[in-house]
Amino acid sequence: MKKPNVLVIGAGLAGMEASLILAEAGRKVYLVEKESLIGGQTIKFEEVYPNMECATCMVAPKQQEILQNENIDLLLLSKVEQVKGSVGEFKVKIKKKARYVSLAKCIGCGACYEPCPISLENEFEEGLSKKKAIAVPCPGALPNVPAIDPESCLRLNGKKKECQACKEACMFDAVDFSEKEEILDLEVGAILIATGFDMFDVKKLPQYSYGKANNVYTAMEFERLYAANGPTEGKLVLRDGGIPKSIGIIHCVGRAEQGYCSGVCCMYSTKFSHFLKHKIPEAKVCEFHSDLCIPGKSHQKFYQKTLNQGIDFIRCEDIKVEDKNGKLQVNYKNHNGGKDIFKADMIILSPAMTARRDTESLAEILGISQDKKGFFSTQSEKLSPVSTAVDGIFIAGCAEGPKDIPNSIAQAEAAAGKILSILS
Amino acid sequence: MSTQTESHKNHTKGVIISAKEGINKAILDIFKKSLEKKCFDAILIPVRVPDTESYAWVLLKDQSLLDEANPLPPVMSVQGAKALSSLTKHGEMTQNIAAILRPCEIRAAVELFKLKQIHLDNISLISIDCPGAMPLSDYVTDPEKYKKRFKNVLDKWGEDDSVRPVCHICNRFSLPSLLPQKSAKTSPAKQDEPNLAIPDLHIGLLGGNKEKIFLIPVNLKGRKILEKLEFKPDDSLNLWENKVNEVQDKKEKRRNEFNQELRKKIEGQEKFTAVFDECLNCHNCMRVCPICYCQQCFFDSASLNLSPETYLSRAEKKGALRFPLDTLLFHLGRMSHMVLSCVSCGACEDACPMSIPVAQIFSLVADQTQKAFDYTPGINKKEPLPLQAFLEDEFLEVETPSEATTPIEVN
Amino acid sequence: MNEKIGVYVCECGPNISDRIEIDRVIEKISSVEGVKVVKKFGLLCSNDGKKYLADEIKKEELTHLVVAACSPREHEQTFMNVCLEAGLNPYLFQLINIREQCAWMISDKEEATRMAIKYILAGISRVTLHRPLLKKELDIISDVLVIGGGISGIEASLSLAGKNRKVYLVEKKESIGGMVKNFSALLPYQGSNLAVIEEKIKQVQNNENIEVLTSSEVEDVLGFLGNFEAVIKSNGDGSVKKEIKIGAVVVATGFSLFNLKDTPQYGYGKIENVLDALEFEKMSASGKILLKNGKPPKSVALIHCVGREEKGYCSKVCCLYSIKFALHLQDKLPVVDVTEFYSDLCLPEKADQDYFEEAKKKGIRFIRADEFEVKDKAGKISVEYKVAGGKKDSIAVDMAILAPAIVPSEDTSKLAEILNLPLDETGFFKEVHEMLDPISTPIEGVYVAGCALGPKNIPESIIQSQAASGKILSSLIPGKKIEPEVKVSEIKEEFCTGCQMCLSVCFYGAISFDEHKGISVVNEAICRGCGSCVGSCPSGAIRSKHFTYPQLYREVLQALR
Repeated sequence: MKKPNVLVIGAGLAGMEASLILAEAGRKVYLVEKESLIGGQTIKFEEVYPNMECATCMVAPKQQEILQNENIDLLLLSKVEQVKGSVGEFKVKIKKKARYVSLAKCIGCGACYEPCPISLENEFEEGLSKKKAIAVPCPGALPNVPAIDPESCLRLNGKKKECQACKEACMFDAVDFSEKEEILDLEVGAILIATGFDMFDVKKLPQYSYGKANNVYTAMEFERLYAANGPTEGKLVLRDGGIPKSIGIIHCVGRAEQGYCSGVCCMYSTKFSHFLKHKIPEAKVCEFHSDLCIPGKSHQKFYQKTLNQGIDFIRCEDIKVEDKNGKLQVNYKNHNGGKDIFKADMIILSPAMTARRDTESLAEILGISQDKKGFFSTQSEKLSPVSTAVDGIFIAGCAEGPKDIPNSIAQAEAAAGKILSILS
Repeated sequence: MSTQTESHKNHTKGVIISAKEGINKAILDIFKKSLEKKCFDAILIPVRVPDTESYAWVLLKDQSLLDEANPLPPVMSVQGAKALSSLTKHGEMTQNIAAILRPCEIRAAVELFKLKQIHLDNISLISIDCPGAMPLSDYVTDPEKYKKRFKNVLDKWGEDDSVRPVCHICNRFSLPSLLPQKSAKTSPAKQDEPNLAIPDLHIGLLGGNKEKIFLIPVNLKGRKILEKLEFKPDDSLNLWENKVNEVQDKKEKRRNEFNQELRKKIEGQEKFTAVFDECLNCHNCMRVCPICYCQQCFFDSASLNLSPETYLSRAEKKGALRFPLDTLLFHLGRMSHMVLSCVSCGACEDACPMSIPVAQIFSLVADQTQKAFDYTPGINKKEPLPLQAFLEDEFLEVETPSEATTPIEVN
Repeated sequence: MNEKIGVYVCECGPNISDRIEIDRVIEKISSVEGVKVVKKFGLLCSNDGKKYLADEIKKEELTHLVVAACSPREHEQTFMNVCLEAGLNPYLFQLINIREQCAWMISDKEEATRMAIKYILAGISRVTLHRPLLKKELDIISDVLVIGGGISGIEASLSLAGKNRKVYLVEKKESIGGMVKNFSALLPYQGSNLAVIEEKIKQVQNNENIEVLTSSEVEDVLGFLGNFEAVIKSNGDGSVKKEIKIGAVVVATGFSLFNLKDTPQYGYGKIENVLDALEFEKMSASGKILLKNGKPPKSVALIHCVGREEKGYCSKVCCLYSIKFALHLQDKLPVVDVTEFYSDLCLPEKADQDYFEEAKKKGIRFIRADEFEVKDKAGKISVEYKVAGGKKDSIAVDMAILAPAIVPSEDTSKLAEILNLPLDETGFFKEVHEMLDPISTPIEGVYVAGCALGPKNIPESIIQSQAASGKILSSLIPGKKIEPEVKVSEIKEEFCTGCQMCLSVCFYGAISFDEHKGISVVNEAICRGCGSCVGSCPSGAIRSKHFTYPQLYREVLQALR
């Protein structure tokens, strides 16, 4: 008997879009997300190109719909452990970690954060700031309910079993230390993989001095610096406290290693330049690139506009970043073959978009393979970018390969459509 | 964008008609001929009301009535566009009608066309160089005196300041294509777009020294009319163009200076409210305005009726409350509704019983607002009204706060 | 008056009760005319709270409900459902935000209480003027019209066609297959080749739920989501007309190539053996790659980005297909020297770079250049160019293949007018939201897929077609009714002058002009209640059913008192 419900793995833009389409058609959707909040990577951005729209404002209505839709069962802090069966009757085991805060009772007032004695690195903020052991990853997170990190929490890791500072601060009795990890058994008709992407680990490329020089940032770190709800509330302040007057943005970091162009970095780097020039009009901004990859009918216009703002686009190769006593220097070879340098206060690296680090394990669980680049394989022989080799398992968004937001959304809608047609 | 040389190309040729027996007679003879030759089935033209000195718009077929007609009466009793819209609001004209209108009336008619209040099919628009009109209240008290003054106005084109204030500073008194363009976007339609250029025919008076008038075909339709009248548009229009440009320069300068002065006089909350102190809230200005086309003016509607308690509490807060209420609201509201299409015709000021300089003020605001939107009303049938056309890169300066957009402290 | 307004203040735990003196609020509100009961409750959105409200509505026989609590974004729907279940029209309800807008913002308790009272009084003034709006249900037709029989149209048809859903596939040429039919091979899926396309075409032809109308064009489309009527004319001269009823439309009219006559410096049309990409595809597919003199070329230049500067965008697919051509030339011709000229290499798909590496390994030269002049020099084609850095150079080749920009297909503007769809400045159809709604148009039920929206490759076109299907499959379910928006605009006939300002600002095509009466009319099934028309009407003839002038004025005046 074919089950009409669907499992969607990943609550980023692609996962949310597909869930909403399926829910509108009356299907029950189990939306499984490994983090404590929904929205994926997009909610880390302040603005999106090319119209510089506020990213969080743009995504918020979708997030609200997900939270309030009766057909969508949102399972946060959850991962897929096991998949058995076949299309129409998959049996899935989900491991749901304990949040230790009741989603029903908590109203998001945040009174519990302050009394907590433990601070830890905030992964969402790319390590640029700390959060408490009970916290939401960022202001405006949805759902607006904190989670307790069991390894850091004194009570849960056993270091101070009687600590209940957060519980005492809560007026709604929403903190529940007795919550346990759950294993859920679901039966679904189809599965959609929408697990998104990770970024290339720039530490692997020592020539950029990332991690050694203070003011070399990755694109994601810069996104958080730029974000109004980020660690500096949108103020462009360097790690050492200064305001940058000369900024270099380096494209294609990791491209040669990965063997493909990620298609979005030229555009988001241009977005950074546009923003930097706006925020610090007297700053000198230089973009170091190889080929400019700006397909998309409005993209070239955006690039042209940024060029007219006085941003330098330098085509070059052999780029190295040197730390010269706190000041940064970009050494490069220009298109004539000659060597040149650029002195900067801040360097932003635009790394390649890669498959998620846990792709291999998830692929194994699902019984599908990875392609040469590490992403999930699709059934390309039949020109079917949303289908995998396994019937009933579909894929959408950056889990399939690097792409921008409109393409992720379109792919999610396509995958939802395919699911609706095979599971009537 | 029309440059001098381009416009020269557009209007090099026309028909020079002798006006030795008087300009009016020359024009009326042409109209008589046009009725005879069946160029038109009827003509909409101001005609003197018998036994009075006032003028009314008359749609006439009878040639003999033309004897009392005046294509350029000394006053603008009713805005011509309003008359035209009464005629053609509810459907296309089925016969050929010629309407002879002052340039501002033509422009108002085009705006009304864009607002679907006038159908221009089968209407031939004929405009005429206009030196201005006399203030209606002055004229009515002493018509003989002001008729004589009007003769002087025609003689000393642009120099006699007894015309209405907005006429004295009018910079659009002749053909649109000769007159200032606010931007490349807002240019009159080219002659090769046969039905878009307006008007169809223009009667030039300047440069003729009262001895001749110039018949200028502006588009294909105009040419056909001249053909039917057995005129060949072969004559040079240099004399007319040169004189128009000369007067234009003077008027332009005068308009800028006047507006700057006026702005100083009415700028700021106190001064601005003081201007409307004597307003009776009679809404006459709105009623005669050609651009005010609503069936029921919003400011006459029940939407603004509030409960007695509301009025009492307002009176309490302010100490006193004047009735009828919300005079300034009416003017500001009317301004925000129509100023983008305001053609500075001055009908409103003529109609005001308290002689408030409402046309001068609205013209000043209109000039500034139209400039901000890069829009000139009434010169291009195809150009959409600014509120209908959203452009992504308009008003970018308002998106990002700057000194220009920081509100001034008003106490 | 006969109102019995019930006002309920939610304590929201400490959130509101700590920051606002609720008892004083209750005291103040109790004395307002028309208010029958004012009470407070711990947490109104809880199950207990909802039950409490429902009971109160019935017990007190309330005519209107006002709840002072959190943001409408949170719980407006929740309480509207409560009203519905308790028998009170859900539009006779107002949710006042005294949490996010008062308690959470104003630190001074006095001030917060004062503001809360103001907001509630304002809300009460408003709610008495609410109209009991009724939800409507409309029957729908689940069939779909697909315009364009290229790969996008084919894919959409195959995804949509089913037992309860017929698809009409209208194609203006004599056969379906679009541009793809002409291609010799498909990169990066060289393995699959054209067999896949041919198979899809066969599937369409054999599918009993797809009616293919070739040599046909769409003449007119009227209606709205779930209820469209279209007129299709066939036989080239339009002598045969067919009227169909459908619920949705997918526009998949594809692309054209940039007119190379606009860039005469490339010699197209003047110099022999200068081809455009499509001509080369056809030549490739025929199996015989020959010059005009019948001999195979020994040297070929492939020039990318032709027309890119003129059009202002990168067409995305040309770099890859030029590499495909280069590899194909090497494969099929015994001896050939291939040079590719480009400005920026655009290879964004994960497999693309591999082909580029392969091409380089096979000796295909890649030269970054611009300022091209293609000349005829003694029977050979001389390609003159300027490299980055300024140096001028030239090569002599037997054949030059130009990669022209992808432009909208020629019927795009005509079709846009018929369907009332906007075009963006590049001339392609404009999507509703560039990021979050890339295939929808402002006309609900009309979608666009494939190159009709902008240059893209085959997998992307297929995804977009499937996305359009996804949206249709989820919104137009056979037998299920749709509920159009309730809070729509309406026009008062006696005040409308027929100026059509409202029509010109309506993004959704929801307003039409009644020629007979000379007034504008709102189609309530299409109207989304955005209110742009209300703002555009100077006489106030058009107004929103749930945001009337009296409602807004009363609310604001009360708040300002």
